[in-house]
Amino acid sequence: MIGKKSLQEIIEEMKLSSYYKKNIVTWQTIEEKPACTVPLPEDLHPILKDALGKKGIDKLYTHQKSAYEAALFKRSIVAVTPTASGKTLCYNLPVLQEILTNSTSRALYIFPTKALAQDQKSEINEMIEASGMNINSYTYDGDTSTNIRQKVRKAGHIVITNPDMLHSAILPHHTKWVSLFENLKFIVIDELHMYRGVFGSHVANVIRRLKRICRYYGSNPLFICTSATIANTLEHAQCLTEEEMCLIDNNGAPSGRKHFLFYNPPIVNKPLNIRRSATLEVRKLAGELLKNKIQTIVFARSRVRVEIILTYLQDLIKNQLGSKSIMGYRGGYLPTERRKIEKGLRSGEIYGVVSTNALELGVDIGQLQVCIMTGYPGTISSAWQQAGRRHGESLVIMVASSSPLDQYIIQNPEYFFKRSPETARINPYNLIILIDHMKCAAYELPFKQGEKFGGVDTKELLEYLAEERILYQNADKWYWMNDSFPAHNISLRSASQENIVIIDITRTGHVKVIGEMDSFSAMTLLHDEAIYLHQGTQFQVEKLDWEEKKAFVKEVDADYFTDANVAVHLKVLEVDKTINLVDTEVGYGDVSVRAMATIFKKIKFETHENIGSGPIHLPEEELHTNASWISLNKDFSKMGKGQLEQGLIGAAHALNHIAPLFVMADPQDIHVIPQIKADHNEKPTIFFYDRYPGGIGLSEKIYSGIVEVFHETKKMVEGCHCDNGCPSCVGAECVSETAKKDVLTIIQSFLNSSFQPSEV
Amino acid sequence: MSLKNKLNRLKPHISLEEKKPLPSNEVIEKIKIPFSEQWEKEKVFPYYFDHQYCLVREIKYPITYKHGHYFFSDFLDAVHIWNEGPQNHPLSASGHKAEELFFFDTETTGLGGGVGNTIFLLGYASIVHNELVLRQHLLPHPGAEVPLYQSFLERVNYKTLVTYNGKSFDWPQVKTRHTLIREHVPKLPSFGHFDLYHASRRLWKHRLDRLKLSVVEKEILGVERVDDIPGFLAPMIYFDFIENNDPEGIIGVLKHNEVDILSLVTLYTHLTFQLCGRDPSQTRKESFEVGRWYASIGEDAEAGQIFSSLIDGRDQTSNSAKFSLALQLKKENAIKKALVLFEKVANEKNELSFLACIEAAKILEHKYKNFEGAIKYCNIAMDLMDTIDSKKQNELIKRVIRLKQKHCKFPG
Repeated sequence: MIGKKSLQEIIEEMKLSSYYKKNIVTWQTIEEKPACTVPLPEDLHPILKDALGKKGIDKLYTHQKSAYEAALFKRSIVAVTPTASGKTLCYNLPVLQEILTNSTSRALYIFPTKALAQDQKSEINEMIEASGMNINSYTYDGDTSTNIRQKVRKAGHIVITNPDMLHSAILPHHTKWVSLFENLKFIVIDELHMYRGVFGSHVANVIRRLKRICRYYGSNPLFICTSATIANTLEHAQCLTEEEMCLIDNNGAPSGRKHFLFYNPPIVNKPLNIRRSATLEVRKLAGELLKNKIQTIVFARSRVRVEIILTYLQDLIKNQLGSKSIMGYRGGYLPTERRKIEKGLRSGEIYGVVSTNALELGVDIGQLQVCIMTGYPGTISSAWQQAGRRHGESLVIMVASSSPLDQYIIQNPEYFFKRSPETARINPYNLIILIDHMKCAAYELPFKQGEKFGGVDTKELLEYLAEERILYQNADKWYWMNDSFPAHNISLRSASQENIVIIDITRTGHVKVIGEMDSFSAMTLLHDEAIYLHQGTQFQVEKLDWEEKKAFVKEVDADYFTDANVAVHLKVLEVDKTINLVDTEVGYGDVSVRAMATIFKKIKFETHENIGSGPIHLPEEELHTNASWISLNKDFSKMGKGQLEQGLIGAAHALNHIAPLFVMADPQDIHVIPQIKADHNEKPTIFFYDRYPGGIGLSEKIYSGIVEVFHETKKMVEGCHCDNGCPSCVGAECVSETAKKDVLTIIQSFLNSSFQPSEV
Repeated sequence: MSLKNKLNRLKPHISLEEKKPLPSNEVIEKIKIPFSEQWEKEKVFPYYFDHQYCLVREIKYPITYKHGHYFFSDFLDAVHIWNEGPQNHPLSASGHKAEELFFFDTETTGLGGGVGNTIFLLGYASIVHNELVLRQHLLPHPGAEVPLYQSFLERVNYKTLVTYNGKSFDWPQVKTRHTLIREHVPKLPSFGHFDLYHASRRLWKHRLDRLKLSVVEKEILGVERVDDIPGFLAPMIYFDFIENNDPEGIIGVLKHNEVDILSLVTLYTHLTFQLCGRDPSQTRKESFEVGRWYASIGEDAEAGQIFSSLIDGRDQTSNSAKFSLALQLKKENAIKKALVLFEKVANEKNELSFLACIEAAKILEHKYKNFEGAIKYCNIAMDLMDTIDSKKQNELIKRVIRLKQKHCKFPG
């Protein structure tokens, strides 16, 4: 192709061009890794060998073989499998082998979403059809038509579903699934890393119920899990399934040489520390690559961003390539549409894809040479997922936005490259979640005296439920005795019990529910006149009906967002753990958080000017949860009360950015609040609490790693290019000229004292 | 902190089902039955099995007993009618003796399907030695399902179930609960099933807003309930009963269930009389619905007869009957007769005129090549379209254009 540059040429150019050079703050090259393969297992069923042959597979990667062998020796496994490393064979091989040997055997596949389940069905059915195996595999979800449901239940060798369906449709109707449960040999859990936080804690309890039903029907299935790289894969898998697991991490798939670039757009307004927009910078980079017909994938964090970038790019290259050669990709696409994109990429008709994080799951993008991320995707593991793994040389560019998190990551490359990825946390013992699933379990089968629910002793819980007139004890059994269907009142994906339903009333006649939110968060995010962002679209809350738990919203196009002030009152109820250091005290325990929303401000995008405010009239909410905290013993009187308060607020703001990063949680799930004089010890204190009743283990993790959190926060604040503190680092509330300095002083004094014992 | 203390602290976050009064900690004596005297008064006796028991109530009604508009002896006539008559119908008892029909209804602790919805009352009635014998098996506490199903399954001897919505609710639920104890009790037998809910829907959907059995009873069957406990309270009463064992409340539920079952007998009798034309007070609309039902199951002779009997008159039913009959005649290739009827419906302004015009136009065009006549009916149809339905309109316009072209090519 005349005049077109190759990827190598572009890489060279980037190294030399003065414009790019000053923006590329990190250039990390990861060397290639050849494939490690082994011959197909000797005992593999001939039909299966044939099916693999038709797909052009005549050997296995080492991790696929290990998975196969572990299953043969009846061991449950979790396989760490990066993108496009052939993870599906890790479970399809042992499952198909088992069913071919014994046609009564059954397997249950669990995927976090319907779309992924659909994808898997297509993939496994291709293999089944190609070789004429007499195996039925079906998806069972909300879309499964009623006339084939019966068939799926009775005759499905492989049933592919999601945890929500398992929770509300399969387990409460287990008597219709006798042939599945009696013969269940394998439970496959794909995308294991997705099951974390509240959702993961729910799913762990659904698995307890699943195992309980299997035991009742006399089966003892093996678990085969696959996961992206997280720090604690094995621990997480064992915690989720409560099974002894064997870790398979000898990934044998090859990967090419990879250049990983951190790209920081230039500062355009020095005093306000505003950088050129990441979107515009991505347009420039991607445009350059696409003009040279280099296949590129661009990730953006919201649907709106995807649309904007897509429009830009299509416009940019429409004369050279035709606008059809760049496709957008968002969650909720059908498998056929995905296949079309994959096919287009393979055949070379499509050069570029602009995608939300949804594509991270489910589309094979192995052949793309370049990946551009518009902003840090939020966790180390999803950044690596998006970066993918290609066979040839490839280029990954992460373009930072001006958000503090992005700026932190880009200025601390060692955090990203050296640190092990995040830890996935779940707490299957959260009492609220546990008791909900105990109810569902009792509905499914009566509890016997002395029966354990997973690792939980049930006696006290059963007594409690009996006192609440939900269970009835007769002789040595506890029976469900209530007219409700408990699974219908429990949603695996919502944070709390009494959720506010968000209703879009933009178009009369097309009123629809677009989401839900726990009432504690709703106070600050869904009050009257709040601007609510839903998947990148702006809505204004027309009315929040607190009694009916409904928020009515209308689509708007506003140039501001709203920020509610909450008066938070935190009280320590019980101290479970403490470490007393010379100058500080670190604690962990049960707390009560009372919060009342007071007023909200309208804040202009970009300039962050305050352009109006209004009152919020909502009742006080109370939350009982876990918290960890750190208090200063040191005297701060010389700093002045006002300055100390501002400093604590600023420090809390900064910590709030780093804490979720550290525990791999949604920023919504963990909150940080300062108290100038904590109730329980009368000392200046910063609290981290779990934003879910009963706690889900996040603050406990902070407790054990509090030094690191403070350390990283300090680096973030120091690394910020502002002079006296800006909304990006210490927040909009700190306005004094010494704000940044005060925050750093306070963080430092926490750090000094914390380090002392190790220094002594 | 103890778990219970934590739970109590977290209580506001836990969704709790409604509270009921505190339980008594009384342990049920397995052999001694609490309140046995009161039970006996209500003709309820224990059934023992495997160191457990359930409660069984048995009531006999003479065949001369009248429930609603019918005597139970009318039910014997109904079975006789099916056996003698020519009609084929999904509800036909042809080939059955009256004794082989088994009127069945349950009471459960909740709504909808799902393993945890326990059946606490199995009730049924059938004809035995010229009497209607009604039996009810009551679960005295949730742990006694084995004796409940054991007693039920060893007494039942039937060929066909008669239920109200039992195909989608009662029987699947029996299967679900039976699966849980299938190793301890006999298998569930197979059987035929008459679900009268669907029949009622077909016949009375036009008259009744809701088709609950209690509504059909009151509006159609002439059944009056005295001091009845509404069905939706049954679970609450049952929960109360297993706490205090006092029969007083639950007897009300038994009686409610009893009336439900008796009404099934009357309903089956009434439906038979409707379907076989034995009800002199049957409305024209009801007859028409019966005709439609026969037509939909391919019993054209029976349907034709019913429609023919309804075509005189000037009401909507007469038009509906003409139209349905015409469709049937068209199917049988009696084109001429069909056309006459379609034209009648088309020319008499009513809700079927539009469709009748189209049908008439089709016959005139394809069978008689009478394009002018066909165009005339298309024009009438065009005038009849009061609401704008662009799809219909387009079809009609296409038809007219085609007809006009044909008319030009082959005038007359």
